[in-house]
Amino acid sequence: MDFESYDVLVVGGGLAGLRAAIAAVEANPRVKVGMVSKVYPMRSHTVSAEGGAAAVMSADDSYDTHAFDTIKGSDYLADQDVVEAFTREAPVEIIQMEHWGCPWSRNPDGTIAVRPFGGMTTWRTCFAADKTGFHMLHTVFQTSLKYPQITRHDEAFVTKLLVEDSRCVGVVALDIRTGRFDAITARSVILATGGLGRVYAFTTNGNICTGDGMALAYRAGVGLKDMEMVQFHPTGLPFTGILITEAVRGEGGYLLNSEGERFLKRYVPNKMELGPRDIISRAMVTEFEEGRGFEGPHGKYMHLDVRHLGEKVIDRKLPFMRELGREFVGIDIVTDPIPVRPVQHYMMGGVDADISGETPILGLYAAGECANVGLNGGNRLGSNSLSECLVFGAAAGRAAAHYASSAKPVTANPVDAMLWDEARRVEAEYLEKKGGVERIGPIREEMQLEMDAGAGVFRTKESLSRLARNLGGLRERFEKVKVDDSSRTFNTEITAALELDFMLEVASSITFSALAREESRGAHARRDFPERNDAKFLKHTLAFHTNTLAPRLEYRDVKITTFKPQARTY
Amino acid sequence: MTTEAHTAQPEYRWRMPADWWARQRHYFLYVVREFTALPLALWLLWLLVEIKRAGDGPGRYAPHGSMPFVVFSVVVLLFALYHSYTFLSLAGTILHFKVFDRPVPSRLIVLSQFGLWAAASVVVGFALIWFAR
Amino acid sequence: MPDKTITIRATRYDPEKDEKPRLQSYDVPFYDESMVVLDALNHIKSHVDGSLSYRWSCRMGICGSCGMMVNGMPKLTCNAFLRDYWPRPIVVEPLNNFPVIRDLVIDMDDFMHKLKSIKPWIIRKQEIPLGAREHRQTNEQIDDFRQFSECINCMLCYAACPVYGLNSEFLGPAATALARRYNLDSRDQGLKERLPVIGGAEGIWECSFVGECSVVCPKGVDPAKAIQQTKLDTTMRFVLPYGNRD
Repeated sequence: MDFESYDVLVVGGGLAGLRAAIAAVEANPRVKVGMVSKVYPMRSHTVSAEGGAAAVMSADDSYDTHAFDTIKGSDYLADQDVVEAFTREAPVEIIQMEHWGCPWSRNPDGTIAVRPFGGMTTWRTCFAADKTGFHMLHTVFQTSLKYPQITRHDEAFVTKLLVEDSRCVGVVALDIRTGRFDAITARSVILATGGLGRVYAFTTNGNICTGDGMALAYRAGVGLKDMEMVQFHPTGLPFTGILITEAVRGEGGYLLNSEGERFLKRYVPNKMELGPRDIISRAMVTEFEEGRGFEGPHGKYMHLDVRHLGEKVIDRKLPFMRELGREFVGIDIVTDPIPVRPVQHYMMGGVDADISGETPILGLYAAGECANVGLNGGNRLGSNSLSECLVFGAAAGRAAAHYASSAKPVTANPVDAMLWDEARRVEAEYLEKKGGVERIGPIREEMQLEMDAGAGVFRTKESLSRLARNLGGLRERFEKVKVDDSSRTFNTEITAALELDFMLEVASSITFSALAREESRGAHARRDFPERNDAKFLKHTLAFHTNTLAPRLEYRDVKITTFKPQARTY
Repeated sequence: MTTEAHTAQPEYRWRMPADWWARQRHYFLYVVREFTALPLALWLLWLLVEIKRAGDGPGRYAPHGSMPFVVFSVVVLLFALYHSYTFLSLAGTILHFKVFDRPVPSRLIVLSQFGLWAAASVVVGFALIWFAR
Repeated sequence: MPDKTITIRATRYDPEKDEKPRLQSYDVPFYDESMVVLDALNHIKSHVDGSLSYRWSCRMGICGSCGMMVNGMPKLTCNAFLRDYWPRPIVVEPLNNFPVIRDLVIDMDDFMHKLKSIKPWIIRKQEIPLGAREHRQTNEQIDDFRQFSECINCMLCYAACPVYGLNSEFLGPAATALARRYNLDSRDQGLKERLPVIGGAEGIWECSFVGECSVVCPKGVDPAKAIQQTKLDTTMRFVLPYGNRD
């Protein structure tokens, strides 16, 4: 057992984490930064982002319209001071990425090009063809390699936050390769662990998106904010859940039902295919229910049609979509429509953090998808999340570096004991446990199907209550889990068990937060409460961990500055 | 530059199996190409010897023309053609230039290379036959 | 129709118990035509043998985690369809040419060091301030290096390269392609800093053009092209009087 110490420790090596690490170093070149990630950073799920990153880039756009679009898109659940700061910082971050080498697609004059995106009133989405996340992640990862102040712990899995006297002083991490538990201490810790899509069965998220950071903070006593707000993207490929980017619609693609009709005219007549994701996903499910969907071996689907764009535009702007169609579905999107249906995509909710990423625990910060800084509210607009990772990753990095320079050093004494306890816990619960009978895989699969059924695009009291009961049953079964793998070396069954433990935690926070929000707002659509209720629920939900399955819920007012809540029509 | 926190760990050291080159067509062709360099070199060495012998004047020069040597020369010619083919095909990958601001497609480059090669062979062959008369 | 099955023979190796890797057979239900080798591995891990270890994440051919040898060829297992192999068994092994940590998991630290050694970041003599906005760069200038920027670091090219297999000091295909990606970027001025590594003893001149790296690349990067072009460029710099310009 070992003991490493840093000034700033970043948990997670995706876009937000890497941006935070660099920001910390640039804020103060003397800080020692550690980065723990359960995968090599370039495997992080940022890599799958396709469409682009939103920022006000041209003179005929304004911060105010970007802010208004974001706030309206959020169904007024976004904190408006946070949104305003975000819109001002986003262009700076886009330029910073350009200076680091991101191959942004360009205008003929060589400036960074923008494309239209859902819910945005004007063109403001910067893009690198349709592999924006891939290019941004590799750019910022490769750039991070030049900083000698950054030390990486690749393929190390954080099992617990070290909290002493309500101050976060580091983490306990399982080195996956050796099976050894380490205490990695730091004066400040930034969580940037990404989303939790894997709690659902049908998701665009990669295998690694298991809500680890959210569960870590939750167990350490930090509230999880607005966990009922789960985004369903309208266009996922059936069976695989591979994302077909919103840029397909941004570039002019049509969504057609089985009658060949652009059905969105009944739902978002002014925006059509460029409506926000929550509304389009609901429109699709409604059409399915009314019998206007295509029937396929993997359920109902719609057609996303780009044939009228022509091969040249498709190859220039959507080459990866063509590749995905060819490789994974066996279609050429130049000549065939793409089968799509709504798919879990993003978590608006997350670790309660403020505008600079600070959580209520001293020394603990959060950024990116795992955090909820109040930017996305009830529904995130497409292309705001990559910008969010940059803006709030950088903010958290700077804040953590600043705090670390004045914070007291971490002492070995209590940390050693905490490390010992945590290592014993994991060993006793999984490695050395006798008499386990339940497999991890089936419990995980059942949880995912339950989540799809109970907390999907539409919810009701009944669906959520049933889900809550069933999650309780799954938690009991998980207590009797059996691990086949007794090796210490690269034991991915232990990490799968730890991930499932985390996922069951965040799944219950989603369920109970959703059950309590008796209104429909943004992505949270209750059939039994179809209207928005500002009088009662213009508030953030905060879920706190308890010893039972159900969290303790609190509410906090939304910060309103300029834009008064109005009806949300497109 | 960044550092990585490391831990030493027992691993299985992978070794190339002795027959790695026989397991795949590409590898086999590659090894053949590498191997052909040897006979080519031998043949060229012999050419040097022949040139030395021809230095004594045309009257007393009789080139080595045994049947085995002719066969050897033909095989070596085939090897040389294989090398030339590889080399010229590579040109399409390596060379990149633009005409009217548009990159020339690599197929075109390769085709023109082979065209030039054929033309040069004709010219050389013609000159040899012409002067040998 | 009776349910089809397919046999997966996967490498098992646990350094705590095994001298060397061995193959273990599993029968996996093959219930959907769009199933890939990775789905079969996931079925094994979830329902048959939880101790099988391998890396994967995105299942859409972009994260680069799930490269393995599939019937002797380096492949992304998320993009290797069972229907292309059925009814014959599929042998799944860790990528060739790398040390094996466990089962199907290779040690790729060597590549991580090589990646860093070619300085894969924009190097400039004079940084322009953020306030001066972006460098101007046309889509045509991006086209010069676009292909080489598409590398997902999946290591298939290293597994396919016998030169790397025989001499692990060789810089190798992906790292050279990424070096070229930066050298060709109109914003970059770092060629001279990268030359010692690219043109050094274990750099491009080790490559004897097998060409297999480009054949197996799942992203069309063509690292062989990057290496040969770099050979030509460095030779020109050496030969031509103006060759040492920046």
